[in-house]
Order: sequence, then structure tokens, then C-alpha cells
Amino acid sequence: MHSDLLISQTDGRPMYLQIMEQIKLKVAVGDWATGQEIPSIRQLAIALRVSVITVKRAYLELEREGVILTQQGKGSVVAPDSGLSPRLHEEELAGHLEQAARLGDLLGLTTEELASRLQEASGRRIEDGLPKEME
Amino acid sequence: MMDLTVEFKGVGKHYPHFNLDNIDLVLPTGSIMGFIGANGAGKSTTIRILMGLVHQDLGAVNVLGHSMPSQQAAAKLDIGFVSEDMRLYGAATLEWHMKFVSSMFPKWDQAYADKLVQRFDLKPQQKIKGLSHGQRVKAALLLALARKPRLLVLDEPTTGLDPVARREVLGELMAVLADEDRTILFSSHNTQDVEQISDQITFIDRGRIVDSDDKEAFLDQWRRLRLVLPQHAELPHLPGVIDVGGSGRLPVLTTNRFDPGMLTVCQDLGATVQAVDSMTLEEIFVTSVQHRRETLTV
Amino acid sequence: MNYSMVKRLILKDWYLQRMAIVASVLGGIGALGVVCIGGQAAFMIGLVLLITALIAVGAHLAIATMVNERKEQTLSFVMSLPISHAEYTLAKLLGTLVIFMFPYLVLVLGSAALFAIPHGIPHGLLPFTTIMAVEILFNTCLMIAVALVTESQGWTVAAIIVGNISINIVGYFVAHLPDIERGMQSSSLMWSPTASIALLVEFALIALMLCLTFFLQSRKRDFV
Repeated sequence: MHSDLLISQTDGRPMYLQIMEQIKLKVAVGDWATGQEIPSIRQLAIALRVSVITVKRAYLELEREGVILTQQGKGSVVAPDSGLSPRLHEEELAGHLEQAARLGDLLGLTTEELASRLQEASGRRIEDGLPKEME
Repeated sequence: MMDLTVEFKGVGKHYPHFNLDNIDLVLPTGSIMGFIGANGAGKSTTIRILMGLVHQDLGAVNVLGHSMPSQQAAAKLDIGFVSEDMRLYGAATLEWHMKFVSSMFPKWDQAYADKLVQRFDLKPQQKIKGLSHGQRVKAALLLALARKPRLLVLDEPTTGLDPVARREVLGELMAVLADEDRTILFSSHNTQDVEQISDQITFIDRGRIVDSDDKEAFLDQWRRLRLVLPQHAELPHLPGVIDVGGSGRLPVLTTNRFDPGMLTVCQDLGATVQAVDSMTLEEIFVTSVQHRRETLTV
Repeated sequence: MNYSMVKRLILKDWYLQRMAIVASVLGGIGALGVVCIGGQAAFMIGLVLLITALIAVGAHLAIATMVNERKEQTLSFVMSLPISHAEYTLAKLLGTLVIFMFPYLVLVLGSAALFAIPHGIPHGLLPFTTIMAVEILFNTCLMIAVALVTESQGWTVAAIIVGNISINIVGYFVAHLPDIERGMQSSSLMWSPTASIALLVEFALIALMLCLTFFLQSRKRDFV
């Protein structure tokens, strides 16, 4: 059975995180619409060849984050108005900023030097003519 | 009250050069347990005791509600067992084996058996002695799966299989779990498989159960902390650190009792936490066994 | 004890041993043919051939169905079936003995016929022949029992050799028992109490050995 999602064995992150990320992406781009039924924990586990307990953890976290809703005895659906797209990007940005801060530390940069590097990078985008996203 | 398919209470077995000691094991119905341990750690002995093939010296074993080994005939009606050292009759064909096994198991599903023959790419008319190792393993698995057992006990089910066959077998095992009343216990050296499909992990070493836990919880307890120590600083002492690698100002601590509070302790002592890496089951397994070998006297 | 399971196990062994079974029946008939050529010499030769054939069959069966289960590693497959240790033991003992009965009965019935026909084997030889026939049965039971309990090729071969030698020794001993010896000289049947006692002892030993086998098998704590 082919699955909508794909788990990579070379991805170093825990499997439940991979599952969460892919589901969030599916919701964010609209492949899985609001209110749409998503595979049950067991069904997804079998399709992905991943343990039930891992899928269960992913679903629990997704529910906590408000991405999906689980109805007792009736499976899970995509939660309405999860505001996922900007949230995903926020998470990504936060991750990258932390990385940048850590690398800056290693290189021995001060906060100002780091900030100016960010300006440079942002500036390069304007030079390259890449449109800035409208708010 | 959790429904248990397998329960070991205080099981012990004595051999001249090896002891199985105080084995407590619990396998809830509907779950899949991965059983890992070095060679000679006691996996096969434990599995044989589970199947009633070996009589324990101490303790109680209960499988599917039957006491083992005394009620093994009744229990085995619902069990499919394949072990790595098991062989089928070389002079007979796969088809003969299917007829033979189906005559002994009322729940045999011939339609499913036929499907498996196709999926595993086997030829029923072929004699077992003419099969490659991988084909033999798949044949034995077919015979175990087609009897629709409530419990599958597999000792190294994917050892020696090529990657395609391995994937097929894992797929079939997972498909078994579509029925919530069916349970799987499998031992394997392939830690990647165990990590991927197990709900529970039991880790046995030198005849003792070292750990038996929900897989996610188990993996969550192990971490590698990469630290950057300030100049002339001492390594922070943390409970549960079982290995220290790296060198100089860049130690790598391996812990099996990770707690986010550890990070604060490190930072309070002036160390920077550069990374908190989770570990694969393989890394955990190897680290654990090596640590036990170094610290435990025989 | 689930007898339908035991039956299926026996049928399994018969299927796997089918060639040996056919060969042994044909061999037995062939040896009887030699005996029919007539005369005491032919009788002796035929008898030796038959005994050899029977021992060979018994030995082959013992090794093939029992020692090989361990050697060929099929024992864990068999024990993964819904059977108890006792059912396995019964199936092996019964199955092997019944297979052995095919050539054995050929011997027994054929010999009986040879005694019955006019100008056949002198009837004085009947007690001796009967005792030796049961001795062969005992010998086979011993081989089967050793094979089943030890599952070792070494021990089974030792039992085969010991059995072979002991048949000769027992034969010599019985033939020199006064009552039997006298009977062998005559041409008419002379059944003596000695003969009856000898037979009784043999059957008792067979029964004892089978019980001992069951007992030892049930004591095995590492069945596989």
C-alpha cells in the first residue's frame, strides 16, 4: 500500500517528528483540507511500516498543537483554522535563528556583527531582485 | 486491566555456563515487541521457554492465557513460531508443507497462503532443499503467517534476507497488526528494523532483562550531550552519564537517564551545550553492552 | 492426548520415509524367496538375510525419523505445531514401530507359511524361530528408544552394534537351552515351558523399555 507520507531512514531526526512535519506540510499546502479525515493511527502505522506507538505520539503532539482533532472512536480529522502556514514558518525561522546564534558564538562574533551579517543577507535578496512576500 | 498475551514472572533457567536470571516480561495484546541483545545474551532461550520447548527452572510463564510448558499444545494452536535455526524437510515440497501445516491448524487461510506465495515469489512445487536461504526463511514465515496466529514469535526473522525480501517481510508483519487482537514478538540484530516497527523494546544482556519499555520512552531517555567547557573547567558530574567521549574542552556525554534539567546544570557550571543528540537504537545498544562489559564483573 | 494430532505426525513420517518402507517390504519378500529355494542351508541364508534386512530397516528408521530431526534441525518446526512432548514421543514410537511391522510381518507370516506347508521347515525349529523373531522385535525397540531419547547418531549407532552382537549371543544362548536344543533336533513341534518363559521375558522387556522411554522423554527439560 502506497502511503501519502514517506519516512526517510537517513533523516537523523526521530520518526515521530518526521511524521508530524509531513502532516503539517500536507495541511499547510492544502493537500489535506480542513475537516478531512486522516488515516487512523493503526492504518498509517501499517502503511509507513512504523510502530503504532510512534504514530500515536505524533498524533498526540499534533493534537496538542491544534493541527488535528481526534474524536473518540471516530478517528482523526484536520483541525479547522489551524493557522498552520505562518506557524510553520515561524518555527522554521526560530530554528534557523538559534543555529545562527550558535554558529556566531563559535566564530566569536558579537551580537552586532551577527546582526550586520543578517542585514547583508537580506540585502542580497533585494539585489537579486527576489520579491519580498507581502504581509 | 491490560490484556496480556505473554507474561513472564521471575523466570529463571540454569545451564552450566549460562544463567537466565529473574526474567520479568509483559507483552500486551495488539502490540509488537522487539527483543534485542548480543549473541548469547539469552534471547533464544527466553523464546524457547515462551514456546514451551524448554522448561524453566523457576518462575511462571503464561502465554495467551495458558501456562507453559504444561499447556503448550493448546497455546501453540494460536502461535506462529519461526526461528533462525529452524529448518523444513528438505526432501518435501513447499506445497506438501502447506498441506501438512494446514491439516494441523483449523484457522489456516488458504487464500492468504496463496497470496503470500505470490508476494514472496515462491514456487510451491519446489523442494525445500532447492531453495535459497532467503526463500527458505520466507517459506517458514508463510507457514507461520497463513495459520492466522494470535501471537507471532520470530527469532531473527530478517537475518540473511536481501533488502527487498526484508521489506516484504516487514510489510507482512505490520499487516498482521491491522487486527488489534494479534501480537508480535520478534528478536533481531537488525536494530534499524526493531527501532522502526516496535511498540515495545526489551533489551537483554547476559541472561538479565536490562530494560523493557515503550520504545518512544526508551529512546527519549538516551541522549548525547556535546559540551564546550570553559577554560580550566571540570566536567560537570551528572547522574546517569554512562560514557564520556571526546576530549579536552569538547566532551561528549552519553546518558541513559536524560532530563532537561541536566542542560541547566551544565550551563550553570559555565559549559555551553552545543548539541543534544538523540541516539539510534544501534548506538544505544552498542554503548549499553560495552558499558556493562566494562563495569560488571562476570 | 490428542490422537488425531499423533496420527498426522505418524502420517508425516511415513510420507517422508516412503521409499525406505517400500524398499524394506520388497527386500523382505526377496529374502523369503531365497528361503523358498528349500533346504536347511537356504533357510539359514534366507534367515540371516532377513534378519540383516530387518536390522538395517530398523536402524535406518531410527536414525532417519529421530536422530535426523535434531541433525537436520527440523525438531523446532515439529514442536512449533500444536502438540505436547508426550504426543511427539508417542507418534515417533508408534509410527516407527508400525513402519517396521511391514517387513517384520512379511518375515513372520512368510516363516509361518513355510512351517505350515508340507515338507517345509521342520517343526522342531518353531520355538527357536519364534523366540528369535521376538528378539529381533526387542532389538528394534531398543534402537528406536535410544534414538528417540538420545537424539544422537553416535549413541544410536552404538545401540545398533550392541543389538547386532546381542542377537547372535542370545541366539547362541537360546539354542543351547536344554529344552530348546532337544526340540531343534526333532522334526515335530516340542513346545516347552522354557520357550514360554523366554517369550514372556522378552515381551515384558519390550513393555518395560517402552515405558522407560516415555518416562525419560517426559523428564527432558530442554526438549528442543
